[in-house]
Amino acid sequence: MLTIIKNRVTQLVVVLFILSLFTFTLMKMAPGDPVLTILNADEMVVTEEDQAELRNKLGFDQPLYVQYGKWMFNLMQLDLGKSYMSGKPVIEELLTRIPITAELTFFAMTIMLCITVPLGVWSAKYVNKWPDQFSRFLALIGASIPNFWLGLILIYLFAFKLGVLPSSGIGSYSQIILPAFTLGFTFAVVYARLLRAGLLQSLSEDYIYAARARGVKEWRILWLHAFRTAVLPVLTIFGLSLGSFLGGAVVVEILFSWPGLGSLAVDAIFNRDYPVIQGYVLLTGVFVVLTNLLVDLSYYVIDPRMKRKEEAL
Amino acid sequence: MNIQMPRINRVPFFFKNQNLLIQCGIIFFIIITLTTLIGPFIVPNDPLTANMSERLAPPSSAYPLGTDHMGRCIFSRLIVGAQSTLGITALVVATVALIGIPIGLVIGYIGGRLDTVFMRVADGILALPEFILAIAIAGFLGPSLTNLMISIVFVKWIAYTRVVRSIVITERNKDYVQAAKVGGSSNWKIIRRHMFPQIVSPVLVLATLDIGKVILTISSLSYLGLGAQPPAPEWGAMLNDGRPYFQSAPELMIYPGLAIFFVVLAFNLMGEGLRDKWDVKSR
Amino acid sequence: MIENKTTATSENNLLVVENLSVTVRNSREKLIRNLHFSIPQGEIFGLVGESGSGKSLTATVILGMLSKSLEVTSGSVKLGQSEITSLSERELRNIRGKEIAYLSQNYQSFFTPFIKVGKQFIEIIRCHTDMSRKEARKVAIHWLNKVHLPAERVFNSFSDELSGGQLQRAAIASAIMFRPKLIIADEPTTALDVLTGERILDLLSELKEELNCSILLISHDLKHIINRTRTVGVMYGGRIVEIGKTSAVLANPIHPYTDLLLQSRLRLNKHIQHELPTMLGEPGLIAEEGCPFSKRCPSVRESCSNKVPMSSLGTHHSAACHLVKAEREERYVTR
Repeated sequence: MLTIIKNRVTQLVVVLFILSLFTFTLMKMAPGDPVLTILNADEMVVTEEDQAELRNKLGFDQPLYVQYGKWMFNLMQLDLGKSYMSGKPVIEELLTRIPITAELTFFAMTIMLCITVPLGVWSAKYVNKWPDQFSRFLALIGASIPNFWLGLILIYLFAFKLGVLPSSGIGSYSQIILPAFTLGFTFAVVYARLLRAGLLQSLSEDYIYAARARGVKEWRILWLHAFRTAVLPVLTIFGLSLGSFLGGAVVVEILFSWPGLGSLAVDAIFNRDYPVIQGYVLLTGVFVVLTNLLVDLSYYVIDPRMKRKEEAL
Repeated sequence: MNIQMPRINRVPFFFKNQNLLIQCGIIFFIIITLTTLIGPFIVPNDPLTANMSERLAPPSSAYPLGTDHMGRCIFSRLIVGAQSTLGITALVVATVALIGIPIGLVIGYIGGRLDTVFMRVADGILALPEFILAIAIAGFLGPSLTNLMISIVFVKWIAYTRVVRSIVITERNKDYVQAAKVGGSSNWKIIRRHMFPQIVSPVLVLATLDIGKVILTISSLSYLGLGAQPPAPEWGAMLNDGRPYFQSAPELMIYPGLAIFFVVLAFNLMGEGLRDKWDVKSR
Repeated sequence: MIENKTTATSENNLLVVENLSVTVRNSREKLIRNLHFSIPQGEIFGLVGESGSGKSLTATVILGMLSKSLEVTSGSVKLGQSEITSLSERELRNIRGKEIAYLSQNYQSFFTPFIKVGKQFIEIIRCHTDMSRKEARKVAIHWLNKVHLPAERVFNSFSDELSGGQLQRAAIASAIMFRPKLIIADEPTTALDVLTGERILDLLSELKEELNCSILLISHDLKHIINRTRTVGVMYGGRIVEIGKTSAVLANPIHPYTDLLLQSRLRLNKHIQHELPTMLGEPGLIAEEGCPFSKRCPSVRESCSNKVPMSSLGTHHSAACHLVKAEREERYVTR
């Protein structure tokens, strides 16, 4: 188990290194001179000396690798610089927004699970019967519908026509339902198909046959013997598509005026607030990589065979 | 013990006819292509001409779907927008395939250390979610359609390289390739004659399904204002334009959304049909 | 026409399968045709045939676990007084594991791999009784000891931590906990090495005596069966082509398929004088009409494409082949 963790962590470090290099390069490629931006050159007279002084202070006159080293050093101490717009440290900006996005994501995932699990089990149980066809139909819709459009339609129906749910804002539970559903739905129906496929696969295993032949109750077979391995492919895809999930969250946050990380990033883009963008990209990148690590490790908890197999190698 | 289990994975009846699925997709595809190609010449109105006296007009003979908040013909904008949305998508997917396939062929064929390095880099890039990457590139290089396209290409090519690579690696070790080598075929000839036919169908399936995804990504980012810039009649941007009015004039967002939905659906139908027909495993 | 006498004659038959046919739903593809056999109380019945001949499917029908895509089109399966084919799912579940136990060839996949073996014992016990976890544990340990296993260790292991022999023993323990009337052993030794396999079969026979149950022993290999069974049925293409007292079938195989199966056994103690016979045609080549073996049979005749009934040769032996008649005449002549 320890060797597995060690391997994964090494991988993690490599990936994070590439991520940091990538962000740093992009930062350097960005058009416009940050020195001029900070000195607000559009509105004020800036002398060459002022510029040179700041450049020196920020270390921009040093070779790139030195700059990268310093940047990395600061990064290790969670120092991501200051926002051009608000002047507050980026890390602070990010930290105030995380709970809002986390709340949205949490509820979206809850709704997702509430759709995926019953729908997947149901369509596996009635393979090729109408529940199965219905879920396939839903999956096709889910894979084809732009989620911001779904959100718009939902707002139009529930907020404007029926007037039962608020169209935007945060704070109350009624304000969570629409955004969470918008974000969760498109993923839910696609994952339901994956779960179905996984269940059909594991229900055809010999040990399921043997368990049935021992007279084990059908619900126990489904939930205790079959479900566990059926979840593996879903977990994999979930880990891989967590990025799209966060991407979807950006759109949903804008759509429902949620002041989360996504809104912060989009505002930063329009304001050319590079440190904030950089902070956002690094944060989500790290988060996605860490989640993938957790998904990988969860395999060994779900299916102990894997652990022993790898340790035997 | 498996004998009592005949193929369980039969297709539900309304999907039973695989050809029907593909046919639907192909018919959609032809309609979409025709619209894209000749649409701009037959639209009733100029998509960019604003006519403030005709703002938010209901459907009429002059404006089949009414007008938007600037008095522009929605129908004309949708048709012309198809060209922009689909044209960009086609360009992106083609570029991605043109970059991804050759690299996959070479890496798979040569293998060894090159392959290891590639896999590491690929893992690194894939850890960055496509959408976040698009935001990063748009954020640093400025929001524009070109930057959006660059960011999608930057992430997507890896999928193609991986597919091609894995096929080439499996094929490389097969006897007939070894035989061809012994028989004195050049590497290039082996790749062209033996490998290329093997990769056509998986890549086509991947590309067809990707078209839908790329359309969704482009329109989402355009909706955020990170892609096509107004007044370009791009579907996502149209949705963004219509947003402030959508309580009073929901059709401004309903039509472009429906257009996106049906086009993506068509490509998904076609992709799934082709995948089932050629029995390509989804990766 | 004389009906098969080994079936339906004695009153103490535990399992009676009559005229059983199974087809693929909504098609005419027959997987089992007019199957006829019975197992007396306390006896071992062997079912032999190559893979795909319908042996395992027969077991599935007896367990009442036919997949939804297949259906029983005719016949009956009677266990004691109850008719398996007409029981509800709930009733079947109560019989499975309790009155009919099942052992599979694939011992590695007998227990669900990520649940500890002991937990699965408790699960079985608690599915059939109202015992508490603690009591169930005691019962499980008792039976694990009974099959000569280190009970505590096996109880706390995952299935892939045990050896093949241990697993098959544990499987047997789980099967006999409720003193079943019938044990279906589907190729219980095929995946094991010869010695372990022999020991498992010894254990099974031993337990059979103790529990006074019947065993349906399924194998693709005659040599696994001949020493253990009282009666044996040879299946080909979903039909029983020859059935009878094992000794009688051994001494005088009638159906060419049985004959070939017997001849292709390697006899280590004998010098092989002639070439080993090879079977004609591909395995699994089944004639749709008449005798299923007719497309591969060395002594095929025109009449073989008609319906070939079971005809008996003596009280304890019958076969579905035209050769039965010839054999009878021969006996008559020699007498």
